Amino acid sequence: MKDLKEVVRLVTLEKKDILLSILFGFLAGLSAVGLFASSGYLISKAALLPPLYALTVLIAFLKLFGFARALGRYAERYFSHRATFSILSHLRVTFYKRLEPTAPRLFQKYRSGDLLARIVGDVESLQNFFLRVYYPPVVLVIIFLGTIVFTSIFSLPVAVVLLLGLVVTGLVIPAWYSVKQRKSSRFVRESRGQLSTEATEFIYGFRDLKIHQQLSEKQEMLQQASHLYLQQQEKDSREMLASHSWNTFVTLMVSWVVLGLGAFLVSSGDLNGLFLAMLVMISLTVFENAAPMAVLPAHLEDSRRASARLFSLVDEEKTENGTKEMDASHAPSIRMENVSWRFPEEPRQALTDVSFSIPAGSKTAIVGASGSGKSTIFQLLLKFHAADAGVVKVGGEDIRTLDEESLWAHTNVMLQENHFFFGTIRDNLSMANEGATEEQQQAALASTGLSFSLDKQVLEKGENLSGGEKQRLAAARVFLKGKRLWLLDEPTSSVDTLTERSIYDRLFRQAQDDTVILISHRLNGLEKMDQIIVMEDGEIQESGSYEDLMSRRGLFYEMKQIEQTILA
Amino acid sequence: MKHLSRFAFADRKGMTLLILTSLLIGASVIGQSYYFVAIVDRIFLGQQSLQDVLPLFAGLFLVLAGRTLFTWLNGKTGIRLASKAKEHYRHRLIEKMSRQSISTSVTGRSGQKVSVLMDSVDELDGYFSRYIPQMIQTLIIPVMILAVVFSAHLYSGLIMVITAPFIPMFMAIIGVMTKKKSEDQMEKLSAFSGQFLDTLQGLVTLKLFNRSHRQQEEIESSSLGFKTATMEVLKVAFVSSLMLEFISMLSIGLIALEIAIRLVVYESVSFFTAFFILILAPEFYLTLKEFGSAFHTGRGASGASKQLEETLNEEDHSLVWGDQRLTYEQPPALSLRAVQFQYEEGFALDPVSVDIPAGSHLAVVGKSGSGKTTLLNIFSGLLPPSSGDVDVNGRPLYSYKETDWFNGVSYISQHPYLFSGTIAENMAIGVPGASREETARAAEKAGLSQLLETLEDGLDTSIGEGGRGLSGGEKQRIALARAFLKKPSVILFDEPTTGLDVKTETVLQRSIQELSEAATMITVAHRLHTIQAADQILVLDEGRAVGTGTHEQLKAELPLYRQMVTMQKGGEGA
Repeated sequence: MKDLKEVVRLVTLEKKDILLSILFGFLAGLSAVGLFASSGYLISKAALLPPLYALTVLIAFLKLFGFARALGRYAERYFSHRATFSILSHLRVTFYKRLEPTAPRLFQKYRSGDLLARIVGDVESLQNFFLRVYYPPVVLVIIFLGTIVFTSIFSLPVAVVLLLGLVVTGLVIPAWYSVKQRKSSRFVRESRGQLSTEATEFIYGFRDLKIHQQLSEKQEMLQQASHLYLQQQEKDSREMLASHSWNTFVTLMVSWVVLGLGAFLVSSGDLNGLFLAMLVMISLTVFENAAPMAVLPAHLEDSRRASARLFSLVDEEKTENGTKEMDASHAPSIRMENVSWRFPEEPRQALTDVSFSIPAGSKTAIVGASGSGKSTIFQLLLKFHAADAGVVKVGGEDIRTLDEESLWAHTNVMLQENHFFFGTIRDNLSMANEGATEEQQQAALASTGLSFSLDKQVLEKGENLSGGEKQRLAAARVFLKGKRLWLLDEPTSSVDTLTERSIYDRLFRQAQDDTVILISHRLNGLEKMDQIIVMEDGEIQESGSYEDLMSRRGLFYEMKQIEQTILA
Repeated sequence: MKHLSRFAFADRKGMTLLILTSLLIGASVIGQSYYFVAIVDRIFLGQQSLQDVLPLFAGLFLVLAGRTLFTWLNGKTGIRLASKAKEHYRHRLIEKMSRQSISTSVTGRSGQKVSVLMDSVDELDGYFSRYIPQMIQTLIIPVMILAVVFSAHLYSGLIMVITAPFIPMFMAIIGVMTKKKSEDQMEKLSAFSGQFLDTLQGLVTLKLFNRSHRQQEEIESSSLGFKTATMEVLKVAFVSSLMLEFISMLSIGLIALEIAIRLVVYESVSFFTAFFILILAPEFYLTLKEFGSAFHTGRGASGASKQLEETLNEEDHSLVWGDQRLTYEQPPALSLRAVQFQYEEGFALDPVSVDIPAGSHLAVVGKSGSGKTTLLNIFSGLLPPSSGDVDVNGRPLYSYKETDWFNGVSYISQHPYLFSGTIAENMAIGVPGASREETARAAEKAGLSQLLETLEDGLDTSIGEGGRGLSGGEKQRIALARAFLKKPSVILFDEPTTGLDVKTETVLQRSIQELSEAATMITVAHRLHTIQAADQILVLDEGRAVGTGTHEQLKAELPLYRQMVTMQKGGEGA
């Protein structure tokens, strides 16, 4: 339960709606009991041929209970769902607050997109916590208490039987299945994961499987995984059904016992026969409220897992942050001294003993093959990771002492993947700089060759923009930010030569006195750079100016030779 | 949706069981009411003692146990049916996908395919496990109750018959009235619910632009917007169930009033009959109402059902291979005879004819999007041409045995797929029985030795799905190692378009040279030296073959080609 502590705290923020839903849930449940009790009483009374007016009163009661039940149910649903969505909102905000400070690190660590989908899914599944776990037992207990008190007026033994029934259907059976559920839902998850992996490999690796004639073998494995998953699912569903069925059986048995006990009491003269029908009707009705208890274990387990996963994710990522503000008045110098770093759980070093010095206001290019460690250098410079060994310095300060927020605020960053938000082009540009005028925004767009209207709609993740358009928009955005340190990771990899030139023109004009580090996927046009760092396998192979490197005839020269023989 | 119900009704045994259990549930509902009423009647009015009614108690116990048992059986049958349906559809999907040519996988819908196979199939569950059983119950149980009520007391039966249609009618009316409204809300809903994911995905960007704090307010406001929009939709649903509740309650009230009056005023019914009807009436309306919620669940499967149908009805580009044997004492001669290809939308490859003599090397050049990779896929036998023939040693490719052909082919793509498993397993995918020494030698030839030395487990290092943790060049070298193990007679090679990986570059050059000595080779070429070394060059431009010949010939005759090969010489072209 400790996993759910935080969630419970968030749930209880919605006190008013919770109280209202409990109140109306209680009202609806008790009215239902009242409705059936009074109809049982009515019919028994009628059998004794009373005067008609006596029946009229009873019938009025019947109607009253009926309306109260329907309206109570409506209000209960309304308030409980309203509370649920408010809780969802709290969950999102709270979780966002906790996630936000560690986001870049966390996202780098789990380099797969499904982490986010999982987070959203987990948060979403927690919204069921109130509706399916927290509040049904509360309402159930209150309704039963009311009913039991009422019943005890007529017969204490019958009241005791109802109480026992509550314990079995509300506690014993759900608890028993809760344990089983935990195990079987784990199997379901595992077999689903297995199937998902097989399916992904089958579909993405189709060509290679086909050529190597492994398709039918893989297909067989996929069918098997599918079969296993279905078996687990079926088993899980059957358990749910069994839990449900046992619950029903016990409630029916309680009514049977109530009838038997009532019959005994009537024949022994301890109970007026007039109430027998009423008591039976009560016991048949009141257990309707125990039905949600059958699905409670599954939801409890879901919530517990979701919550544990969410909060462990956030908690593990607490690293120390510095406090020093970055000096924004002039361009900073950058240094790395014997820096090494390796992705957690990966066998190889991503960076080994990397040292370089970039003077303030100079222009540096980093080149190398994919996987050579270029982008990792940026990740360390942005404090997404802390170096395993060595020192990273920005503006002469050890990066560990710098406040990361301040570092980000004063750096123009363009990563390989740039995110755009649902909204207009203007919205997406103003996030870089609130104070920029329309003219400035237009000019920034123009320098990247984009002729978008500022009011153009951008869809989620910018999915209505092509790869090249996204890159140009990201460039425009970074131009507007206008800080003194530039970190650009392959900023022109998906644009044509003409646009590339236009973007670089603006960059070198605007960043004349700034420090620029550019990761480049091409070697053309690097002649102007003050320094070129050549990476291979996480190490710096050589560095120097374009002329230096070309005359040295090392790795850079070779790369250049290959590039020159490649057709555009 | 139709194919779902067809599937359900085709399962004779399941259907019979559902009908049978529904009949038994109906019977036990009636029996339960009968015994309860009979016992109360005898104790209360008959003044009998507990001993007198003991047989009735035994009957009641049996009926109650029966009701539970039959409901359980009914549910179990539903679950079984759902399992069968999911198995059936997933099986068919997998069959379908394995028959596909690669044209579907090159159209970039792989992610969607995975989701159809996983999620859409799972979403069918409710339709079979809840909707179908409930539908059958609704068709059977109310009718049974009605028959019993009619035989017990005509007027109550009439009230039921008259009021019952109001329930589906109201459901339909409310459904129609609110459809538009809820569709409007749905759009808002998906926008709101997408926003949280959108924000999370962009969190790094937000942080870098120092905007993440402000976003918190937006999450809050969009979550509250979500709440308002959802409540609009839900309110409609709640009101409709309120109305249904009122209808059933009024109807029950009407019945109660009617029998009470007859009981008291006219004394025309007995207590037994009156109580019996009073207990049966709620069961009658309850079944009708439950159908409403099951119907909702059934509707939920309609999106998934549509998606499944679409996928399953996609045109089959299945390839039929012959049984002509093909041996590789020598590398085969290949040729294209007026081969054409048309993707479902957009790109088309105009007729291409070319002869590749045994053991020779054809380089295909052209700008990106000119159809080079399509041509390579056609050569591989993975993509059947829309018209025309691929000939191998003078016979149509598809007249050969499929296994014979693929036994001799290696395809080294720009993005080879690596499966989760060890490096050795990934290499041996083409030659399952390869010995340890052969594997090690192939790895060495593919330039993997240095990489393997840095790995603690060497060849036995596990790599994740899709080759996680390896660079592009390393993946390519593993693909190359596959080829060295396989010793192909036909090599299809999609040359990398980037050239910064010097190590892979040199390995590729040397290895391809070595491999090609005993093979017929077709290269999608991006490098001048590859092109120059080819025996024959095919130039493609926007899906048309604009020239074939040697480097010198083409340079002399084809301005487009001359432009392509001189552009990069200057180096500044790119």
